[in-house]
Amino acid sequence: MATVVELPRLTDTMEEGVIAQWHVAVGDKVKRGQVIAEIETDKATMEFESFDAGIVLKLVAEEGETLELGAAIAVFGKKGEDAAATLAAWKGGGTAAPEAEAEAAPAAAEQAEQAEQAEKVEDAEEAAPAAEAASSSSAEDERIPASPLARRLARENDLELSSIPGSGPHGRVIKADVIKAADATKASPASAKQEVARPKSTPATGKDVDHDGRPYASFEDRPIKLTPMRKTIAKRMTQSKRDIPHINLTIPIFMDAAAAVRKELNGVLSGVKISFNDILIYAVAKALRAHPRVNACYTPEGLIEYGDVHVGVAVAVEGGLVVPVVRFADQKTLKRISLDIRDLGKRAKDKSLKPDEMTGSTFTVSNLGMFGIESFTAVINPGEGAILAVGRIADEAVVEGGEVVIRKVMRATLCSDHRVFDGADNARFLATLKKILEAPMSLFT
Amino acid sequence: MPEIQIRHAIRDAMREEMTRDDRVFLMGEEVGHYKGAYKCSEGLLEEFGERRVIDTPIAETGFAGVGIGAAMAGLRPIIEFMTFNFSAVAFDQILNNAAKIHHMTNGQHSVPMVFRGPNAGAHMLGSTHSQAFEPFYAHIPGLIVVAVATPYDAKGLLKTAIRDPNPVIFLESELMYGVKGEVPEEEYLIPFGVADTKRAGDDVTVITWGQGVPVALKAAELAAEQGIECDVIDLRTLRPLDMESVLESVRRTNRAIVLFHGWPYGGVGCEIIAQIQEKAFDHLDAPVLRVCYEDVPMPYAENLENLVLPTPERGLAAIREVSYAR
Repeated sequence: MATVVELPRLTDTMEEGVIAQWHVAVGDKVKRGQVIAEIETDKATMEFESFDAGIVLKLVAEEGETLELGAAIAVFGKKGEDAAATLAAWKGGGTAAPEAEAEAAPAAAEQAEQAEQAEKVEDAEEAAPAAEAASSSSAEDERIPASPLARRLARENDLELSSIPGSGPHGRVIKADVIKAADATKASPASAKQEVARPKSTPATGKDVDHDGRPYASFEDRPIKLTPMRKTIAKRMTQSKRDIPHINLTIPIFMDAAAAVRKELNGVLSGVKISFNDILIYAVAKALRAHPRVNACYTPEGLIEYGDVHVGVAVAVEGGLVVPVVRFADQKTLKRISLDIRDLGKRAKDKSLKPDEMTGSTFTVSNLGMFGIESFTAVINPGEGAILAVGRIADEAVVEGGEVVIRKVMRATLCSDHRVFDGADNARFLATLKKILEAPMSLFT
Repeated sequence: MPEIQIRHAIRDAMREEMTRDDRVFLMGEEVGHYKGAYKCSEGLLEEFGERRVIDTPIAETGFAGVGIGAAMAGLRPIIEFMTFNFSAVAFDQILNNAAKIHHMTNGQHSVPMVFRGPNAGAHMLGSTHSQAFEPFYAHIPGLIVVAVATPYDAKGLLKTAIRDPNPVIFLESELMYGVKGEVPEEEYLIPFGVADTKRAGDDVTVITWGQGVPVALKAAELAAEQGIECDVIDLRTLRPLDMESVLESVRRTNRAIVLFHGWPYGGVGCEIIAQIQEKAFDHLDAPVLRVCYEDVPMPYAENLENLVLPTPERGLAAIREVSYAR
């Protein structure tokens, strides 16, 4: 009997997956443990090692398709076995699939209906401004920018150039615009006739027209499919903002001494380049060790003060962001931290982080300094009590002892869960962080 | 099919024609004992001797003129310019003798010969040694102008050039002598005035030749990644010009760019664009753009030279612009 291969749970929090790439084709012989596909989960793209063996009879799921856990993705069996029959039997086999499908079907129908309606609305909208525009162009010999091809097509389709929105540079009417207008006319011949017949002296009433009375070009919205990563971000951030009362405190930190230490270290260390972010992560870890109340989280049963310091570092990647974790950051050397962050960041970008490298953080740091952001607030990662949002380091004029001096200033904003601790706790943590960063040699004691 | 370099395709073409027709001979600076400045005549001196592979003094006016005289007297000379930059010295010979004698003598004399050598900017050669001569020679009635970009085209067109009864300007590229490609072992000729579509697509026509071809192909590759498919047309001969192929493509794509190694002002690009607007005006959906050198003498400094040369990225930008890609 042939077997149906189902979409496996590859991470703890995975609820659906996308086949990023098949590694086998119909007719291939598959061994147990062989990598048959790459599956994009909410966390990472992971290799799927087959639990089954046999000949690939059918690949049910297509690359790029979003699937629920347990969905059929392929059928394996012996040569000549009927994949369709196996699938039919599998569906009838009392799994959740038929129910899910029954639900999906009306939903799909509803969507299709909505899309149809939307199209109709669009058509109507398109026709309307066109009519207004035709009526508003006062002088017949007014020069309308249009490509030679667009002019010819307009002539052939009996369309007024002045009634066609131009999407090219400076409102130039191009081929695509005429074709769109011609299609719209065909769809609603009645309205098209009206628009041509209407006398040109009728004053314009529409607002969506330019100074020549021609309608502005409207571009279609671009629907973007939610990737598992986007869905995860959406879910977790919504949960955070809904459930956690955020409190945000900002402190300026003078980074002159840290800059000097960084320069000195980079002058003598080889094989590593210490960044401000590395020093910051290290300082945060040390400050967390000194203030365990900030390294904590809220649960309805009570607060949990974490014993270990695992600092999550937010990394922007294509299509979203991930938060790889520097584990036991307070016990590492600065060099180790720098190497870890470099490695994690690089692998975050090529999406090769393992799920356990992105879980277990007790506190997160989000740094947008490289984009020139001065300061900002961040959203707490559920499961943690706080997140530190860090801006750029810039030379600023600062008054010290009645004199204006130039200092390198960085603003750090601690965004924390008010259920876990209060403003004063935050302030104490930030004061310690400031003290460490302004006297960075203390990191090495 | 064996894969060979352009320099070897050129050598093979000359060797085959010299074997076939003993009126054919090669003359130029360093073509014999040094085997050509870019090693395009390796082995020819040994095979054909000093009477047919002739090292000349550094005197372009002289040996270009000797070649023209030999052609008028019935021989089939191949004159190698170490680079076409040096042909400027022989310009009067080419303009007033090679190109005009058939006309001036009412057909009593013809000038069946080839002037060949590398053309256009190479790498950090300064403004006087980076010139692109297509516009100068293609401008002159009486000359045939060829520019090649692959070993296959180089061999097939050079053989045609050697056999043609007219003077032919045969433009090669210093940067591309090492470019490899398949060349059949059996004999073949490529006629003048037939362009070659090096990549097919329906969205934008990219017209190019010579050293521009690899740049255009790379630009087309970048465009394809963004969903814009280019028809890359290698003209191969600039006079006569295969406008039929260009117009057929433009009527299909409605948009075109001309990408070439050369200056914008009064160049071959202008001729192509002029003909497109004359003959396919109603098919154009966007202005035809040029991607070529900036309108300045070629700088020597590498960083500045890179700003002047056409790049795949500049090609892509033009392709996107004529596609109205947002």
